[in-house]
Amino acid sequence: MKNPFYFRYLIIALICSLLGAGIIIQMVRINYTPFAQDLIAKSEDYQGVRKTIYPPRGTIYDRKGNILATNQIGYEVGIDLKNVVDPETIAFAASTLLEELDYLDVFAMASTEKRADENRYYVLSSFVSKEKVEELELLKENYANRRLETKSIKPSLSGLVWTPMQQRVYPEGTLGANVLGFYNYFSRENAQGVFGVEEAYNRLLTGKPQTVFLPNDPYLVEALPDIEPGASLVLTIDRDIQSMLEETLDQALAWSGGEGGTIIVADPKSGEILGMASTPFFNPNQYWKYQETFPGITPYNRAVGTAYEPGSVFKVITMAAALDSGAAELDTTYNDTSGVYWVANSWPIYNWNYGAWGVQDMTGCMQHSLNVCLAYVAIDLLGEDLFYEYLQAFGFGRSTGIDLASEANFPLRLPENNQWMSLDLATNSFGQGIAVTPIQMVTAISAIANDGKMMTPHVVRSVVDKGQQYNVTPQVINTPISAQTARDITEMLAYSLEEEASVALVEGYRVSGKTGTGDIPTELGYTSSLTNASFVGWGPTDDPQFVVYVWIEKPTISPWGSEVAAPVFRDVVEQLVVLMRIPPDDIRMQMAIE
Amino acid sequence: MKNRILQAYKQAPWRIQIQWIGLFLLGLVLIASITGVYLSVSAQAAASGRKIQSLERQITNINNEIAELTSDLAAARSVDRMKSRAQALGYVPLDPHQAVYLEIPGYNPQADLVLAPPRVNIIVESPSVLSSYRTSLWDWLVQNIWQTPALNLQPVEEMTP
Repeated sequence: MKNPFYFRYLIIALICSLLGAGIIIQMVRINYTPFAQDLIAKSEDYQGVRKTIYPPRGTIYDRKGNILATNQIGYEVGIDLKNVVDPETIAFAASTLLEELDYLDVFAMASTEKRADENRYYVLSSFVSKEKVEELELLKENYANRRLETKSIKPSLSGLVWTPMQQRVYPEGTLGANVLGFYNYFSRENAQGVFGVEEAYNRLLTGKPQTVFLPNDPYLVEALPDIEPGASLVLTIDRDIQSMLEETLDQALAWSGGEGGTIIVADPKSGEILGMASTPFFNPNQYWKYQETFPGITPYNRAVGTAYEPGSVFKVITMAAALDSGAAELDTTYNDTSGVYWVANSWPIYNWNYGAWGVQDMTGCMQHSLNVCLAYVAIDLLGEDLFYEYLQAFGFGRSTGIDLASEANFPLRLPENNQWMSLDLATNSFGQGIAVTPIQMVTAISAIANDGKMMTPHVVRSVVDKGQQYNVTPQVINTPISAQTARDITEMLAYSLEEEASVALVEGYRVSGKTGTGDIPTELGYTSSLTNASFVGWGPTDDPQFVVYVWIEKPTISPWGSEVAAPVFRDVVEQLVVLMRIPPDDIRMQMAIE
Repeated sequence: MKNRILQAYKQAPWRIQIQWIGLFLLGLVLIASITGVYLSVSAQAAASGRKIQSLERQITNINNEIAELTSDLAAARSVDRMKSRAQALGYVPLDPHQAVYLEIPGYNPQADLVLAPPRVNIIVESPSVLSSYRTSLWDWLVQNIWQTPALNLQPVEEMTP
């Protein structure tokens, strides 16, 4: 029997089915409208935030563990619009306490329509000091108390927020800034090390930033991934030596009227740079003032970034080449009859005083710094092929590979180059017509102070990464001369200083060294009366533990390296032996015997 | 006769009703139990999530504090500050000729600075979140109810202070 209500049931079922189907269709349709996409995006926005976590930048230590660069807390102050109640008070407080902010600008930001999600947060200022933030905190508290008393919603700093973040700090200020470089942390996403160690080791120091999603839903919260801080570096630099060098250089420039200068102290046995001072001095804590300190093409670190004609300090290299190749012996003589040496019968070479010095052995040539003698040695004894072979073996014409950014290199002009002339061989022999950087000179001289072995100069001693320490192993670049030649040159230059009663001599310590006075080329030739005064020395002569290189640019008190750079060398060594705990020779010998 | 036999073995209607009600109640209790367990685990997960967030904030704050103290310490020990403190205490720079040198056996002023142990084989660390916080309810049920737990055959180690 047919149900009398069958038709009615059918109608109701049909209506319900249609309603259900309609709802499902509408749900699907809504999901594919642009409005739905907008809603989904908004809902995702409320689910949490995607944040890039930057690991703390690695710390830089000197060789004794003193901190040269680390991080401190700065605060980002911003406006969280959804919590803003009182834009006027926020604008007043922010513009009063943070000087760089303008009341009207902050007020406009704080009054922005709150619902527009792309405008929900404004950054007002980055890296605000802790003191300023403490003042803001106090103000916020005072306003809260006042609101309680008056039972009103104003004045209020609600919506003004500050977030701590790490910023780079150099606790020693200008000390070692030319070696350290700086980190331009203001533009967080594009921040990177600039110059020096900060640039050369930027990738290691930075670590690996990670982007993570921080959900608001507690069910979805997970522990943040372990983000390793950037690697820390232990430098070869000794903070006390560096401080002494910078002070000495500063005094030397004030006394000599020099335009600029550099002093390098290195350990010849390992290639470690113990100190490297260079002017102008710069405070990396205020790196945005870089252009003021280094206008135009002023080098950040002239010890590695400037090539110059070094003058007679280069004679050490020429003499080392001559003795090592056998082209000359210690007792080989040169008879300087006229004080002039003619190159290819066309170009005259004169001594520094335009005088003739008679018969001189090789020690005499170095002692009196005779240009004519060295030109004779290079042209008549060594020859161009051998001379330039030795120069290349000593590393001239290519970078030393020091682990500092922006190392300059001036290519060697070789006989196979079209521009090379035979005059170049003569002038190169006494350090003119050739441009070298102070670090190239130190590297080459380290071979003479280290029994012929030339070490790679470096400023990083260890890297500490992921809880493990990796020590840098000193590397031999080349052995351009024999140990015997190195000792002969060392002895020759110690004797020369003693015979000349040089102002470079240090009481109680036997040192070897050579002065240099380099003429400065202009567009019209060597017409300037200004010079580059240099001195390179090492000691103690029997067991060299340091190489010191001094370059004073354009001194006005005297043009001579022997009068300007040599006393600076002495001042440095007198303090250096104390800092390096090197006893005077007699005590050291006595200790060795015992 | 056949009908009589069927009637004799047929359940009474009230009995069938009771059986259905019993089954329904059993299902209800089962659902309630599962819901209870689920809610309990969810509550724990939420509490743990909040705790994680709080601990992460603490880690950040502690790291910031460490950074702050490190930079303060470095500034307090900077060359300029040390020099001025030394001068205030009456110290003067050493004249090299007044230095007295003593040989101390075993002392090496140029010794390497050790900030961390030297390189060793890398040990992969276990995740910091306990597995119980990363297990779904279903995994937990499978693990603890339907599978026989593995026998713990590890020797008991003597605890030492």
